[in-house]
Amino acid sequence: MRIGIDTGGTFTDFVFLTPEGMKVYKVLSTPHNPGEAILNGLRESHALKERLDVIHGSTVATNALLERKGAKLALLTTRGFEDLLQIGRQTRRELYNIMVERREPLIPRELCFGVPERTLYNGEVLEEVDLSAIDSIIEELKREGVESVAICFLHSYVNPANEELACSRLQQHNLYTSVSHRVLREYREFERCSTTAINAYVAPLMERYLSSLEVELRGGRLRIMQSNGGCISSQSAREEPVRTILSGPAGGVVGAREVAVLAGYDRIISFDMGGTSTDVCLCDRGIMTTTESTLSDLPLKMPIIDIHTVGAGGGSIAYIDEGGALRVGPQSAGADPGPLCYGKGEEVTVTDANLVLGRLDPDRFLGGKMKLYPERTYEAMGGFASRLGMDINQLAEGVVRVADANMERAIRVISVERGYDPRDFVLFSFGGAGGMHACSLAQKLRIPAVIMPKNAGVLSALGMLLSDTIKDYSQSILKRGDQITPPELNRSFKPLLETAYRDLQTEGFTKGKIELLEYLDVRYVGQSYEITVPYTSGYREEFNKLHLRLYSYSDEKRPTEIVNLRVKAMGITDKPTLIEQEDRGEEPTEARIDRRRMLFEGEVYQSDVYLRELLQAGNIIQGPALIIDYESTSVVPPNFTCQVDRYENLIITLKEK
Amino acid sequence: MKSYDEIDPVELEIFKSIFISIAEEMGVALCRASFSPNIKERKDYSCGIFDHNANTVAMGDHLPVHLGAMPLSVLSAIENVELHPGDTVMLNDPYRGGTHLPDITLVSPVYVQGLEQPAYYAANRAHHSDVGGISPGSMPLATELFQEGVIIPPVKLVRGGEIDRDILSFVLANVRTPEEREGDLTAQLAANRIGHKRLLEITEKYGYQRISAYMSHLQDYSERIMRSAIKGIPDGVYTFSDYMDDDGISRQPIKIRVAIKIKGDSAEVDFSGTDPQTEGSINANYAITLSATMYVFRCIIKGDVPYNSGLLRPIRVIAPLGSVVNARPPAAVAGGNVETSQRITDVLLGALARAIPERVPAASSGTMNNVTFGGCDPRTGKSFAYYETIGGGMGASPTSHGISGVHTHMTNTRNTPIEALEHYLPLRVRRYCLRRLSGGMGRYRGGDGIIREYEFMSPADINILSERRRFPPYGLQGGMPGKPGKNTLVTGNDNRRLGSKVSLRTKEGDTIIVETPGGGGYGEGR
Repeated sequence: MRIGIDTGGTFTDFVFLTPEGMKVYKVLSTPHNPGEAILNGLRESHALKERLDVIHGSTVATNALLERKGAKLALLTTRGFEDLLQIGRQTRRELYNIMVERREPLIPRELCFGVPERTLYNGEVLEEVDLSAIDSIIEELKREGVESVAICFLHSYVNPANEELACSRLQQHNLYTSVSHRVLREYREFERCSTTAINAYVAPLMERYLSSLEVELRGGRLRIMQSNGGCISSQSAREEPVRTILSGPAGGVVGAREVAVLAGYDRIISFDMGGTSTDVCLCDRGIMTTTESTLSDLPLKMPIIDIHTVGAGGGSIAYIDEGGALRVGPQSAGADPGPLCYGKGEEVTVTDANLVLGRLDPDRFLGGKMKLYPERTYEAMGGFASRLGMDINQLAEGVVRVADANMERAIRVISVERGYDPRDFVLFSFGGAGGMHACSLAQKLRIPAVIMPKNAGVLSALGMLLSDTIKDYSQSILKRGDQITPPELNRSFKPLLETAYRDLQTEGFTKGKIELLEYLDVRYVGQSYEITVPYTSGYREEFNKLHLRLYSYSDEKRPTEIVNLRVKAMGITDKPTLIEQEDRGEEPTEARIDRRRMLFEGEVYQSDVYLRELLQAGNIIQGPALIIDYESTSVVPPNFTCQVDRYENLIITLKEK
Repeated sequence: MKSYDEIDPVELEIFKSIFISIAEEMGVALCRASFSPNIKERKDYSCGIFDHNANTVAMGDHLPVHLGAMPLSVLSAIENVELHPGDTVMLNDPYRGGTHLPDITLVSPVYVQGLEQPAYYAANRAHHSDVGGISPGSMPLATELFQEGVIIPPVKLVRGGEIDRDILSFVLANVRTPEEREGDLTAQLAANRIGHKRLLEITEKYGYQRISAYMSHLQDYSERIMRSAIKGIPDGVYTFSDYMDDDGISRQPIKIRVAIKIKGDSAEVDFSGTDPQTEGSINANYAITLSATMYVFRCIIKGDVPYNSGLLRPIRVIAPLGSVVNARPPAAVAGGNVETSQRITDVLLGALARAIPERVPAASSGTMNNVTFGGCDPRTGKSFAYYETIGGGMGASPTSHGISGVHTHMTNTRNTPIEALEHYLPLRVRRYCLRRLSGGMGRYRGGDGIIREYEFMSPADINILSERRRFPPYGLQGGMPGKPGKNTLVTGNDNRRLGSKVSLRTKEGDTIIVETPGGGGYGEGR
């Protein structure tokens, strides 16, 4: 039985694929050891009896890094460059903060060792690595009780010989090693070193976690979700745990895309608005990755799904700043103390504003299991509003508008700033608070339709269940396009392709299920920023086209430089089919349970309230309406129409004028 | 017609977000499409949008040193050039809206229907790796502006949407790396185009009256926040002075003095008593002094605030004409922007430390350690010009040790990866590490400086423009000063100590070692 498991949230979500269709299960998460919640869930749902095929999004590596609870780590680097990680790009995070606190580095100074060795930019070894120096470092590593070692020498991406020598010496002493040319064979030493160090830092922890989980699964198959949107075997995840960082949000995007494609949409902007933050991601037919991310101040130069996060959520706090502007977030009341209406919070939040506007039903919050205190909201917001000379409804709409503006900006970053027009996409909304904002956001950005999926609460686990195996390979070559012939390029790709193919075979994929995609990172000679294009004979035209779209100009006459070769290897898994429902007609009478007062742009509307679980394929709802689900509420504004599709997703569009 | 004179706190926040996002979108375009590592990797650029009076409305969070100077560029474009739709003005003349010659600014007017005059301006400035002059990298030890590079007064680079090829080829003929320059200028044009397009979009959506009103409200907003920050400083007059090592021509130290007078919610910043302008190139023009002042006062505001002209309204800056903080033409200025600006910052913070000691850190390294080199690459036969800056130690703060190996105050440019440097230039970096124990001792220690050692594989022209080689970054409240920096030339077995500002030609195999200053310590202690 195949199971997708996401341990990232308050609840650990399970999506089971059974012969009768999909089943969903939830248990409380156990952050100290996420494996515990997994076993609880499997036990409670009686799944352990069967042979399991688990795809799991692990937060172990992420948390170890964020909380600085990884391995005792040492760094070996070229002599003279011991402080590579500490200096980084020699920039500071906040331009105008002169009272900045110094952060703990990942590796203390005394465990950063300079090794006598040197390779040149062209691969020539100027100085072979001094193994006796390595030996004395090993002595010290043992004395210090170091668990894991990162190795990053200059120019190892051209010629890894010195790194190999050092590595094998360390391995003779059973030290866990993470070597830069294997983790990331690309130029730019700081980014390569940082990625390698993160890998080494989380590896021992990941090793322990996965081993114990495997024992508990009793021979079942375990695969781990990666941040690139594909999964890998647990064996690969142990070797390169850095690839699993940020896998939770990646699962959400994969789930969103798969559900959207089924519903007939292949260009989506996913919009996941939670309590404290909102994740947005643009999928133009495929899932798009970036290699420019930073986690906890450290660059992570691996392909990860290009998700943009802003500090705006349901719990974001509204206040008037010193200059007299109404601000919303990034401070958040979170779930505890939470918004005013949760009973404990003392600050006005976006959720409170939504309550005033009638977009939350206080009697049916979390299926009626959680009591809300609307009177607290009204009292505090009433006072706040009168200090501003507004009425409470104006204030509530103002808070929602400002929150929307923050999220609108986030969507612009991933669309307009990258040369995409939001009008060509649909907004795919999930997460607890998304349903209350999605339609108004879509209207502002002129996005023609909003999808609110069925099973929105377990989308990430669903994405894991539906994911393919994806492995990324890269190699910097830094060659001018006119100085490398196609046969030479093909030859350079060959070792990458061979490794990729072999690795996927090891992961259990056979010929027909393996897809190898080749890409080039290209730029104009003299630039220092690359664009990834598929490797075809027409790659130059494609590059010029993309450059024009991204940066508003291109120049066919300018020579190009190929910086990196990339191979994306996909092992295609069998996709479960989601079950289509029969059309039950337009009339949603059975789902209509109530009427309530809602406000839109200062106008009061008596609106119908529907229960999501009672809606059926084919139903049509005219806005204004409120659709209540267990974990979320969806708002259909007055000028919108909502249709339930055959997979029971809500498709909401602006009415034709 | 609806009046927008009343400020709506919701609209204010929404327009703030819109204006800032336009400036940032311009920055993204410039950064990604540019050619030289200076812009791309080092992010030595700034973008902003301006109202019809050339006041800054919003700037991206880019380089502080450009910020106060940008509105003067826009003003200069308006005053010196007759503008028409589709035009873009280019300039770098420090005495007509520029800062130093390598910073080339492009100003584009934005016209909306029904208005004769431009409704707004989009502008950006980027540091070019070479703009000609007597040495590669255009940061020479000059004594006149004319030696520092090609001087571009405000002229039209684009007329009615068409690039003026004559002007462009004239400029490109005067620089060492014309292809790269053309690429960077194209990227700069792209950035303004994006600003232009977005300004028109929002005007169409919200109407000119509303946009224009909120451009003005947003400046008032920043002004209110600045006034409230100044109010938090006790009334009084606070003076401080510090010295620059020399101007690279004589060995004479140069004094910079400031008296900050705080009264209620406004401040007067008076540089009277500062030394006269110098023969060497460390002169700052008024724009730079303004930028440094604006930066320091911005730092005393907690939280974020849009960077615009409103911030400066409560502050009056007096900089005697003909002094090193407000030089007269044709004084050389290459170092004023990068070095003197840092000392002005140190002096201002030193004065504020007397008013609010619990909120001001000790001096940071106080220099950008500008290194330029150029020559002919024996591998390709082509000439090259390269410029970079090196970080140092951050001063300790009243609550924390200073950060090591980092850019501080007026700059925040990234380094170039060593693997990139060695690939593209005939040199080898032998060391790039922290300079141990260079941070000043104290209850909190200053951050350490950096050691960067270059070995040249072919003869090269080298210029070093640095500071704090004699006068160390000060400590505060009993903390010790940071260790001053040091520049060394190694030829064979011969080590020669170099001055803070040098221009020399190296032989193949020569090594230059730059050791940058540590930050000052804070408080008595270990």
